[in-house]
Amino acid sequence: MSAARLSFAIGLGRLASVISRVFLRKSGQTISGRIIIRLYPNSIKLLSAEKSVLLVSGTNGKTSTTKSLSQIVSSLGKVASNTTGSNLNWGVANALMNHAPYAVLEVDELHLPNVIAETNPKVVLLLNLTRDQLHRMHEVKRVADRWRDACTKATETTFVIDVDDPFLNYATQSSSQVVKVSFGGRRHPDGSVCPACGKYLNWSGGVYECSCGLNNKTADQTFPDGSAGYRNAVLANIAGEVMGAKPIDIDAKALERTITKEIGGSTATIRLTKNPASWTEALRGVDSNNVILILNARQVDGLDTSWLWDVSYASLKGKKVVVCGERGLDMAYRLHVEGIENTLVDSFEEAMSAFPAGSRVSVLAAYTAFFALASK
Amino acid sequence: MSTSLKIVRIHNELLGTYGDQGNADVLSFRAKARSVEAGVLDVSYLDVMPTDGDIYLMGGAEDAAQLLSLEALQRDNNLQAALERGAVLLAICAGFQIIGNSFEASGKKVGGLGLLNIDSASGSNIGKKRFVGDIKIKSNVVGCELTGFENHAGYTTLGAGLQPLGSVVVGHGNGDDKYDGAVSGNIFGTYLHGPVLARNPEFADLLLSRAVGEPLEPFNDPLAIQYAEWRRKVTK
Repeated sequence: MSAARLSFAIGLGRLASVISRVFLRKSGQTISGRIIIRLYPNSIKLLSAEKSVLLVSGTNGKTSTTKSLSQIVSSLGKVASNTTGSNLNWGVANALMNHAPYAVLEVDELHLPNVIAETNPKVVLLLNLTRDQLHRMHEVKRVADRWRDACTKATETTFVIDVDDPFLNYATQSSSQVVKVSFGGRRHPDGSVCPACGKYLNWSGGVYECSCGLNNKTADQTFPDGSAGYRNAVLANIAGEVMGAKPIDIDAKALERTITKEIGGSTATIRLTKNPASWTEALRGVDSNNVILILNARQVDGLDTSWLWDVSYASLKGKKVVVCGERGLDMAYRLHVEGIENTLVDSFEEAMSAFPAGSRVSVLAAYTAFFALASK
Repeated sequence: MSTSLKIVRIHNELLGTYGDQGNADVLSFRAKARSVEAGVLDVSYLDVMPTDGDIYLMGGAEDAAQLLSLEALQRDNNLQAALERGAVLLAICAGFQIIGNSFEASGKKVGGLGLLNIDSASGSNIGKKRFVGDIKIKSNVVGCELTGFENHAGYTTLGAGLQPLGSVVVGHGNGDDKYDGAVSGNIFGTYLHGPVLARNPEFADLLLSRAVGEPLEPFNDPLAIQYAEWRRKVTK
């Protein structure tokens, strides 16, 4: 009876997906998942029962790392994955509808506890946890507490974490199997308070050690420091190794969320940016003197733009900077106060036309702006 | 008039969760535009609080960080001494609660610095939802509307006769949906992030003029005005 109902729900979901893609020209990845979860709230548990599940979560780098991990695990067998970044419950359910012995799933930070409980994953890869969408997450510690609950209960799961992030260390502190990976230590931007005991966390360079015992001095594997893309590539390979997959060479650059567009004879390299940590990382990667910054503040971008003031834009000094987006004025004023000359324009097309044909332009785009450009 | 303004950013590593550190940058920027020398001094949890600051700033924080900041401020009377001397204080969100009589954090009620006659409760303990969203208040103290973003569970009540920073036009403010913040002499408290001084240059100038002890010369910054006016228009 329940199997028949699940099949019916899957069938209905697939039909809706086809309608969504053909008639509405959408990805079709959300609607079928929504339908199946509505008709069959238990569907994630049932659909994952026969699969070896690997989950990827964190503030930044989820989608690209999930792609790499899928590639790594595919040497073992067919992989089901939510490759478009649809990472809420329904995106997970939708991916699990595909027949495959393995599932590699990106999961939203707030949905992770539920998905861990329902899928009983073999491996959970936790990349990082920093401030993001505070109107929704409220506080970093709140997310870490929820993760800790879920991670502690998942006694059959192996957690692969970047131990240099004290929030990840805390979240998995009571878990039975943890692979702690260190990149030699890295000062966490939101890590002044020990998440485990609430005391002031002692940092010496990138190494933290609290009197309560939380520290990144002891790691199972240590690697040299590098870009976020590189770290995520290393972590993906380690997560794959837990399943018995051979490590592969990953181009760290490929783990940056970028697209390239030719516009009016110029080349725009557009990079996804979301929060203080990802803006800081993206600014570090700017390798052109022509820069466009696009700021929006819709739900997924974060409604509050206050965090703009937590990022230093000093590296843009002397470059030609053009700003646009729905909240471009917030960015323009922030740069103005830091003494960085910039021009505010109405659209991305107008921003591109500010550079002569043949220019190479580095574009940093807020989440919704990035996907609007990617779909063009 | 002091020739150089010392702007003290208190415990930014603890009270910097919601971007409030930008307030110091805006003050310094707008002071320098009037040829008033200004410098920002970051004072961490481990440092001794200087008593010779002109403007002190506190921002929003998570519960554990808020308790640590309070603990550090209670180590000495330096902030109180500076305020008695006439220094200016702007305290936002968690900082606003710290300078009151009492507040709640990490599930317990604690005594604050008592610089403002206010008491704060955690809204979640009294069945109130968290207040998250754009906020606009009408401030007689500053003389205009102020906009910002609020993100707090705190519910603050003002002691009898204490003046609020403004009356709520959009949003929740102190939690009663009527007023936001509190003002007593040169001590200003509010729930507005944004940062509030970036969104509201008039407020920044009020704090600067209080610190230098005389009205400031005009500063025409079209971008600042455009930004402030736009936020006032669209926050509804």
